[in-house]
Amino acid sequence: MKQIQSIDDFGMLSSRLHGDRDMEIPTIVISAGTCGQACGANDLIRIVKREIISNGLLGKVGLRVTGCHGFCQIEPLMLIEPAGTLYPNVEMDDVARIVEAVVNNDIVEELLPRDPESGNPITQESDLPFYRNQRMTILERNKKIDPIKIYDYVVWDGYKGLASLLAKSEPKEVVEEVKRSGIRGRGGAGFSTGMKWEFLSRQPGDKGKFLVCNADEGDPGAYMDRSILEGNPHSIIEGMIIGAYGTGATRGVIYARAEYPLAIKHLTIALRQARDLGVLGENILGTGFSFDIDIVRGAGAFVCGEETALIRSIEGKMGEPRQRPPFPITKGIHGKPTAINNVETWANVPVIFRLGAGEYAKVGTKGNSGTKIFSLVGKIKNTGLVEVPMGTTIGEIVFDIGGGSPGDARIKAVQTGGPSGGCIPVEKFDLPVDYDSLAKAGSIMGSGGMIVMDENTCMVDVAKYYMNFLKDESCGKCFSCRKGTQRMYEILDGISKGEGTLDDLDLLEELAIAVKDSTMCGLGQTASNPVLSTLKYFTEEYRRHIVDKRCDALVCKELTGAPCQATCPVGTEAWRYIAHIGKGEFEKAYLAIREPNPFPSVCARVCNHPCESRCRAGESGGEPIAIRALKRFVTDRVDPGAYKPMRLVKSDPKMPGIAIVGSGPAGLTAAHGLSLMGYKVTIFEAEDSPGGMLTAAIPAYRLPREVLQKEIDSLIDENVTLECNRALGRDFTLQELLDDDYKAVYLAMGAHKSRRLGLADEDAKGVHPSINFLKAFNLRGESLVEGRVGVVGGGNSAIDAARVALRQEKVDSVTILYRRTREEMPAFPEEIDAALEEGIELVTLVTPAKILSRDGQLEGIECLRNELGAYDSSGRRRPIPIDGSEYTIPLDNLIVAISESSDLDCVEGSGEAKIDTADNDRIKVNPKTLCTNLPGVFAGGDVTTGPSTVVEAVAAGKKAAVVIDRYVRGDELEQPASPVVPKIYIEPGASVDEESEASRPRQPEISAESRKRGFEEVELSLTEEDAIRESSRCLRCDLEFTRPNQDEVEKSTAESKPA
Amino acid sequence: MINLTINGLKVSIEDGSTVLEAAQFLGFPIPTLCHMEGLEPYGACRLCLVEIGKAPNAKLVSSCTYPAQEGLVVRTASSRVLKARKMVIELLLASCPQSKVIQDIAAAHAVNQQRFKQEHEDCILCGLCVRMCKEQMMAGAIGFRGRGENRSLGTPFDAKSEECRFCGGCMYVCPACQLRCTFNEPEKAICGGCQNLSPPCVEEEKFDDMMCYMSPCVACEIDKS
Repeated sequence: MKQIQSIDDFGMLSSRLHGDRDMEIPTIVISAGTCGQACGANDLIRIVKREIISNGLLGKVGLRVTGCHGFCQIEPLMLIEPAGTLYPNVEMDDVARIVEAVVNNDIVEELLPRDPESGNPITQESDLPFYRNQRMTILERNKKIDPIKIYDYVVWDGYKGLASLLAKSEPKEVVEEVKRSGIRGRGGAGFSTGMKWEFLSRQPGDKGKFLVCNADEGDPGAYMDRSILEGNPHSIIEGMIIGAYGTGATRGVIYARAEYPLAIKHLTIALRQARDLGVLGENILGTGFSFDIDIVRGAGAFVCGEETALIRSIEGKMGEPRQRPPFPITKGIHGKPTAINNVETWANVPVIFRLGAGEYAKVGTKGNSGTKIFSLVGKIKNTGLVEVPMGTTIGEIVFDIGGGSPGDARIKAVQTGGPSGGCIPVEKFDLPVDYDSLAKAGSIMGSGGMIVMDENTCMVDVAKYYMNFLKDESCGKCFSCRKGTQRMYEILDGISKGEGTLDDLDLLEELAIAVKDSTMCGLGQTASNPVLSTLKYFTEEYRRHIVDKRCDALVCKELTGAPCQATCPVGTEAWRYIAHIGKGEFEKAYLAIREPNPFPSVCARVCNHPCESRCRAGESGGEPIAIRALKRFVTDRVDPGAYKPMRLVKSDPKMPGIAIVGSGPAGLTAAHGLSLMGYKVTIFEAEDSPGGMLTAAIPAYRLPREVLQKEIDSLIDENVTLECNRALGRDFTLQELLDDDYKAVYLAMGAHKSRRLGLADEDAKGVHPSINFLKAFNLRGESLVEGRVGVVGGGNSAIDAARVALRQEKVDSVTILYRRTREEMPAFPEEIDAALEEGIELVTLVTPAKILSRDGQLEGIECLRNELGAYDSSGRRRPIPIDGSEYTIPLDNLIVAISESSDLDCVEGSGEAKIDTADNDRIKVNPKTLCTNLPGVFAGGDVTTGPSTVVEAVAAGKKAAVVIDRYVRGDELEQPASPVVPKIYIEPGASVDEESEASRPRQPEISAESRKRGFEEVELSLTEEDAIRESSRCLRCDLEFTRPNQDEVEKSTAESKPA
Repeated sequence: MINLTINGLKVSIEDGSTVLEAAQFLGFPIPTLCHMEGLEPYGACRLCLVEIGKAPNAKLVSSCTYPAQEGLVVRTASSRVLKARKMVIELLLASCPQSKVIQDIAAAHAVNQQRFKQEHEDCILCGLCVRMCKEQMMAGAIGFRGRGENRSLGTPFDAKSEECRFCGGCMYVCPACQLRCTFNEPEKAICGGCQNLSPPCVEEEKFDDMMCYMSPCVACEIDKS
């Protein structure tokens, strides 16, 4: 390389390079940063080279190896220029086809990325949602430049800014320009870079001044600096040379982590090339200005990112912060004035001089100009580096660019700023990302890490993780930081193991504030942020761990046990019966199912199986165990008589009486529990037959009536009296129950009132609330609908109503109208599938606007089409009706199934006894004790929660029995919780070959054609073979808690042997 | 001379002094543990915290390391200072309850309980011994190793140091092990912690009475018997 002697020569070189390049030749760009290489980019490069050479394509197809493009999720990738086609996740076998297509100016369509919404292939890289919403000024160059070729950088206007300012600007003007751009340090604290340079330029320069590039990027999950170091090292070098010219610095140091070997390699090459070209070193571009840069490798201590520790590390001492003042700007490396800026700040400097400060400052918000790169990682669809203007909201970054949650779990928070940052909850996602807003919300910008967390992330565990990191990475000099982080970890660890107390929370906060206040450097002063921000926004989660001994995210091992058991509202030991099934012990399996749940056959059919949603077999790509189908298999096969309930008290006529209102799952379960304890229970049921919602709402094709009846009959024993056709409010009042000899009253009336749409003419003939429709048919066999039927709603009750309607004799067609998309329907996916198979039409993204009627008779419904708008706090996009999109659906009947509430008229006007309600549709209770405001009156199930699931109602009934017993005995109602973990050891059966092809069996069904008109049960039982094979897929999470400790066994045998 | 205000009182002090020196000059009591006249200020124990500046930018700094600056406004006993200081003392008590020095400081600040899991460490890493060894004894035999919770004191690679002259200076300044706390008056002994002590800088068998500050020392007597 010929060294350039003057600024003019540089201009000539630049224009010659411009002229030389041929933009027409198709070029394959392969991103091969550390991330790309880890995904196989090196192999890709080798194959492309071979293809080019063996096919004689040299000169016809170009190849460029670049640094990271930012979209790590799709590595290894091939980008075709100038066409702009992007091939994500390229398989080695596809390379030849792609190269051939490039030569023929063609596209391999099936390898293109797809639009997540429409499913159409995307031909232009810039149309990908991930890129579309970004504004790339820094990272854009990573795609254009081969980092080890300085000419590549020069072609893209590299060193142009430097050359022009060397030609015509005074150093003072350089500093002014940077000040005018408004850029703030990208390292996290956000100090004005211009001011820093100005301070440095005012320092006496007789002994030399230092500029430092802080490339000690150590935040877990953050790697934006690495991508610049690897992908565009010259931008940092140019930035530093410009800085040196402006401030009069004579020496530069890049302090890079030794863990970034590729970055250091590229930097070393870039520095040598810059010196060879004459833009670095002595007499730069013949102007007499000299500046040179060294690389210092950091040994990997996180604290060395702190500037005073970094300086000590550069000096060869232990990386330990010291007191500021004196600030590095006056006394830095070897006592000489030193200015330290982050990698990203330096990379921004050439951009400022290329665009001009005025143009640069137009991007971003006032006081926060320019773009910022974030590394978006965690529970997010599109992992990668994201460059956006300052002031972009977190919601835009997470949902629009990141694509939202990768699974079903909702996103609940984002952690910004690494270990020193804090967590921002989803409710605050409209917060603009800039230095000041983040600080106000209790977090920091930091270097730009963004870790997305969803419901499966435990915030206590997050705080614990960071504290564990910080207690190792604190330098240990300040006693309060070293011991403080250790103690915070200790407390958090205790909480995550269920050993915490509420006093711990106060102590934790007190300690966190003290640590923040009493330490010397930035690490210590921000070390408390993870704790303080999670305490601030997620106190409830901490309290759940401490008081209820539960970790809802199922992360804290000691509080979770087996996820299937932990998620089951009644605590069914699913692992236990699955283990028994595997060994062919079906009767034992039945006992494990029946013990906690008096409705095993019902739940085996209609349970929403929360156990499957968090089954570990279903994580990382697999399918969860078909737990409900296994339960069905057992309950179909074992005679319920196998279970003999344990009666705690012999039947005794003198035992106190308890009144229960409602004979749904909540009421019957409570009655059963109380009966086993010897109480005399009277159940009052308003309808003709018991069962509540089980009979009234759930159609027979899902829950055959004889199965239900058998289960109900088994619960009504000699201690239980059932009084049907006795309705609270109509036949008796609450006051009368209290005046009678009942020791306690349990209200479990359920939610039997359909909510209204709130439209005019909703009482027209032909419009039915779904509950009325279902009850009329299920209880009395009446058919209320005919002809064309519409169903509004997207929940299970809407699907039930639709499927029951379809089975009516005179019904021609059934249409479900739902306002969001199908993915967001709360109904079980398998129910929706079944409905569609049976021929029900599903119309999504519509809002009913007007009920059309003539002479009080329904004629149809006018709907507005919806489009998806901004993300709401639930992380779903809000449906927004489109003006003028009205259209009419002619209907003979409309069923409104948008939700249910409780009819509380019955408890009103009961004289003295006035029950407190919430929103006038639920009875207000203490959720832990089910106590209402009236002593001796308890309530549970849907009447307190709104419409919920069967298993939740059963859980409420079980709790009611326990609490009422305590109440009658005069015990404390609320008793301390203890963690629920597996306790019974069941020896695993013969081990299964892990590679076996076993996959989740599909539960057999009768065909859609034959079931469409009848009420025969749709789902059938698994075969024995299927059930045993399925149970062998269980990962047996319980063994971790129950298996005799192998290590200890081995150790004790080893010790006993003579040496 | 530099003029600053401490707890509302104006004071002039020589350039290059620390806030701690200025406060002590005025007679304001500030507890210290890792500070010792004649040794470089280090700022490890965080007991000498004072509050400087005005709200909302007020902050706590360690007075032993913070240079006295013109116009600085210092509060040595604001509620924020006391709160942080008490927490530091509580942490000290939780780690090193047997130290007489720490007990005295805790008593003086009415800290009479600690809420953490009790530890019994014989070192709080205040670094007095390191500075004593290096700055006063000109030996530099011991230093810090590791970071975070693995930070410890000792010779490089735990090898016997050629530099160590067994002067005992390190033990003399140690606030945690407090071998000196009893001397030969056992009735004054409060903890007996010294019996368990393994001095960080010397090897016990080489410990010679002739070179020792601490003669007679309980540890040595146990060793000899």
